[in-house]
Amino acid sequence: MSDDWIDPDIVAHKGWDTSLLKRLLKFARPHAREFLKSIGVLTGVFACALLGPWIWKEAIDGPLAAAIDARAAGDTPNMTPFLQLIGFYLLVVLANMGFYYLQTAQLLRTGQLVIHDLRTVLFRHMHSLDLPFFDSTPTGSLVTRVTTDVENLNELFTSGLVVLLFDAVKIIITLGLLFTIDPLLATVVVALTPVMIAISIIFRGGARRAYRTVRARLAAKNGYFQEVLSGIRVVQIFRRERRVMERFDGYLDRYLRANLRTIFLFAVFFPVLAFVVNLIQASTIWVGGTRIVSGELTYGEFLQFWFYLAMFVSPIRDMGERYNVIQSAFASAERIFQVLDTEPEIKAPVTPRALPAHAGMEAVRFEGVSFSYIPGREVIEDVSFEIPPGKTVAIVGATGSGKSTLVSLLLRFHDPSEGVVTHDGADLREYDPRAWRGRTGLVLQEDYLFAGTVRENLVMGREDVTEESLARAIEMSSCGRIIDNLEGGLEGEVAERGATFSTGERQLLAIARALAADPALVILDEATASVDSATEAAIEEATRNLLKGRSALVVAHRLSTIRRADEILVLHHGQIRERGTHAELLGQGGLYAKLHALQFGEDTEGRNKG
Amino acid sequence: MSKSDTGGSLRRFARRFWRHRRRLALGFLSIPLAQLGDVGITLLIRDALDTIEAGGGSDHLASTFWFVVGVALLYGLFRFSQRWFIVSVSRSFERELKQDLFDSLSLLPFSFHDRTRSGDVVSRATSDVENLRMFLGPGTMYCAGAFVILPVTLTLLFSVHPQMAATIVLPLILMGLTIRLTAPRLHKWSTAVQESLADISSRAQESFAGVRVVHGYAREEERSERFAEDSGDNRDNQIALSKWRGLQSAVIHLANDLCFAVILVLGGYGLLAGELSKGDLFLFIDLVIKVFWPIIALGWMAGIYPRAVASAKRVAEILDEESEIREPAEPVELGEPAGEIQLSGVGFVHDGAPKPTLSGIDLNVAPGSTVGVVGPTGCGKTTLLGLIGRLHDATEGVVSVDGVPIRDLKLSSLRGALSYVPQDSFLFSDTYRNNLLFGADEHLEDEELERLIETACMTEEVAEFPKGLDELIGERGVTLSGGQRQRTCIARALARDARVLILDDCLSAVDTETEGELLRGLRDAGDARTVLVSAHRLSTVAHADHVLVLTEDGRVADRGTHEELAARPGWYQETWERQQAEEALGEL
Repeated sequence: MSDDWIDPDIVAHKGWDTSLLKRLLKFARPHAREFLKSIGVLTGVFACALLGPWIWKEAIDGPLAAAIDARAAGDTPNMTPFLQLIGFYLLVVLANMGFYYLQTAQLLRTGQLVIHDLRTVLFRHMHSLDLPFFDSTPTGSLVTRVTTDVENLNELFTSGLVVLLFDAVKIIITLGLLFTIDPLLATVVVALTPVMIAISIIFRGGARRAYRTVRARLAAKNGYFQEVLSGIRVVQIFRRERRVMERFDGYLDRYLRANLRTIFLFAVFFPVLAFVVNLIQASTIWVGGTRIVSGELTYGEFLQFWFYLAMFVSPIRDMGERYNVIQSAFASAERIFQVLDTEPEIKAPVTPRALPAHAGMEAVRFEGVSFSYIPGREVIEDVSFEIPPGKTVAIVGATGSGKSTLVSLLLRFHDPSEGVVTHDGADLREYDPRAWRGRTGLVLQEDYLFAGTVRENLVMGREDVTEESLARAIEMSSCGRIIDNLEGGLEGEVAERGATFSTGERQLLAIARALAADPALVILDEATASVDSATEAAIEEATRNLLKGRSALVVAHRLSTIRRADEILVLHHGQIRERGTHAELLGQGGLYAKLHALQFGEDTEGRNKG
Repeated sequence: MSKSDTGGSLRRFARRFWRHRRRLALGFLSIPLAQLGDVGITLLIRDALDTIEAGGGSDHLASTFWFVVGVALLYGLFRFSQRWFIVSVSRSFERELKQDLFDSLSLLPFSFHDRTRSGDVVSRATSDVENLRMFLGPGTMYCAGAFVILPVTLTLLFSVHPQMAATIVLPLILMGLTIRLTAPRLHKWSTAVQESLADISSRAQESFAGVRVVHGYAREEERSERFAEDSGDNRDNQIALSKWRGLQSAVIHLANDLCFAVILVLGGYGLLAGELSKGDLFLFIDLVIKVFWPIIALGWMAGIYPRAVASAKRVAEILDEESEIREPAEPVELGEPAGEIQLSGVGFVHDGAPKPTLSGIDLNVAPGSTVGVVGPTGCGKTTLLGLIGRLHDATEGVVSVDGVPIRDLKLSSLRGALSYVPQDSFLFSDTYRNNLLFGADEHLEDEELERLIETACMTEEVAEFPKGLDELIGERGVTLSGGQRQRTCIARALARDARVLILDDCLSAVDTETEGELLRGLRDAGDARTVLVSAHRLSTVAHADHVLVLTEDGRVADRGTHEELAARPGWYQETWERQQAEEALGEL
């Protein structure tokens, strides 16, 4: 079955990768101080952990043994050295508390600082990429890059890298100390260590595979759940409730079995590892006990050894877990760098040409423009036309004739494969694309409203939108009624994707948005979705206001828009078949005229006046 | 939340949990045995140390080794079985609960799904169930462990050295209290972290989905700034959370260290006074280490308890949701349905809506005829069609099929007579074949399926599928365009042998030429079917026997044949002419 199909987004990286690590460290470098602090804190925690047992040994073997001997000899025992050690111990306890606080706070903080940088750099970079990048990647995957992938890296910085390196140091130092206490006992521990490491590694592999299956099956199960919820009408009308229940039962069953596997792994791993530790402890008491009897080991040293042993075991136990964290972080890093390595093709030139003071009051020209996504398959072929200042050029044509491509070329979402688009006599490529786009007023077929207030959606953070221009835009686009009806008015919240508004209302708001900055050049891709007649009238009115006195390129569907255009281009298979004003085209007696005679009888005139 | 309902729902889920009592009994019996083993190892080593102090021989040490190994084996075994039985029961519990939730959701009437957000339902079925599972499974397991080891340990320690035992309890209480007190803070900040993560994700989502507007308006910087703010909020919340976590961790370690300090001081004096052996000192040290995690687990349980109670309530709400659409007391079966549909004086008001969606609708659909329903956006077309299959029940008037009011019909008999194409052209992520067969009551051979595909004008597309009918639809297979989805939904509806076919504006993304072909095919294929079709595009209903025009507020504006309606001034004529003109433009 394909149920264990693994989402490429959750597959782990193959292994260690130094070059990836180097690139990641670049993001860590600006926070080098924080990393140094983290290392300082870890050192502090470790030092306290080592000091505690040492004090125990000192106290028991030193002052306490002396006091016991003194009492046995009938003298008054001198407890001052013992109490001094206790005082020292309490200081260590306090320091330890502080270090533990810092260990959590400082390490997480460091990770968060790096992650925030990385996430914002990544997001900004993604927004500098060309449209084909967005068209070729599902939105969900793009979101995963700036969410899950970045969070995986967080773990690398907080509980992965630094801690792993430190764990290695800890294991070595603790082992060294064990040897200084009692070489023979330490040898027993060392003999059993490979067993612990082997168990840890075997478990790591098993756990990773098992978790991957759990995640894949969980995703499949949740996916089906949501699917059925969204298709509940069909399910109920078709009386397929039983069948979807049985199907869901299957998903649950597979999910349960995957879970049982991980439970089993964990249920085995912890006790087995604990058993090895018990084995080491049992050996310690046997060997250590013998050496106490023979006087080669003191009781204090035995306790110290016992404490250090626990410190030695814990990093080994966590090793597998840390390795898994690092692996999944590497996989995420690889995907993130893949995006960061993608370069936009449409970029600002090194010294962009300054836009004329009032862009749009100069002519825009398409000169022999061709464009193809796949070489040889021209979507636009040798198209030339001019948008003179203040004039409207309307494009009509069938779906797939290349209308929207012309809009994309004018916005520099794409650059022509042949020919040039010019503004004020200069190739658009000489301008900074963002500056150029910023000068236009854009209304797209499927316009998009963002979460936030209506005002934010209309202003879009543009500095050239003033209170007056905004008020005018709302009036000209007949949005006043929509906004008044909304709770909170201009400050009212827009739901996700503008779901608060009807299709027609969204179109009107998009026009208001374009009008808000009073642009000199308008790019309008008219929506085709049908709306009720009152809204239709409002949209026609708003469109008229939008185009009045501005240069405009319009992909037109509305008869009223077409008739008012200064030039109409009839586009067919990427080529201009006819051009002229409404009257001229009628006079030419070509395609357009035929169409008009056939469809737009005299009676439509009256309707479009209103 | 009021105190009165505390735990009521939770107890109900505890009873469900207890259904697995056999496995649970094994698991819970293992807990004390495992804990006793754990304590036993400490006692064995204590005795060995005492023997050494008394000058005992190496025989005793060797036997201690083997005893420890033996007890450790048993300890490991019981630890395995406690975890395996209890945690696996918690997963079985999760599975059954999710199954029950899914079953009630599948059976709940459409009105329920209409008024609840699917995100909310999903979170009840996922994170709330998980909260319950964690509390009832691993939660009770850790608690039970704590309830065994704490009294055992305390008894032992008190019997050895009461003063020292009593003093140790103080830091332990301090720690338990701190964990309990910091839990709400931690919960608050981790919720804040989750919420800010959700903000990041939705900000990214809309920026990427609306990239044309963002780029077209050159708002990349502004979007990036906003995103940086969200990301910054998340960072700050994370850092705030880490401080509370740090505090908790600091207090836990402080308590731990203080216990050892007490043992060192009082134990030291005890050794000196001869009240305590070296083995006893070891006993204190080792047992304190061993009771530590159980106490932390108790604090953690106290922290998650309120959440488990809240989750129990939320999950219970869905399980207790009653279906408003009920079977009549004496359900009538349709037998061989003729497919006559009658609406008289039908009205519908959505729950809590100020205005009715539909009112005063009268309509007679003769068996085998085709009736179109049109009107401006939001006029209630979809609701009207939904009334026939009892997705909603009319709040006024009567809907009848073959002369029987549908409320008196057996629900399965009514829906058995219907086939349906939804507006949103919903398909499953499954093979193409399984999608077609979804509503079919009997298995259809490939030839029959291909005939349906042809009627739905999908033959060319299906021929291009690499795996033919077994091709997966959706992300993991082929992605269908809006028009292709709609046509597939029609083929699926035709695969169902039903007298009445309901088409809810399901041709909007199909071009007019294909639409014409498809409608002709439908007429031939469904010669004797009754068809109800709603549409935005009037060409869809142009060939209907009768067309019902609704007003914006859900009343009948006009009715008649297409020719009649197109000939008289009104919404229909206006819309027809505009659509024809725009259609022609596109066809150019």
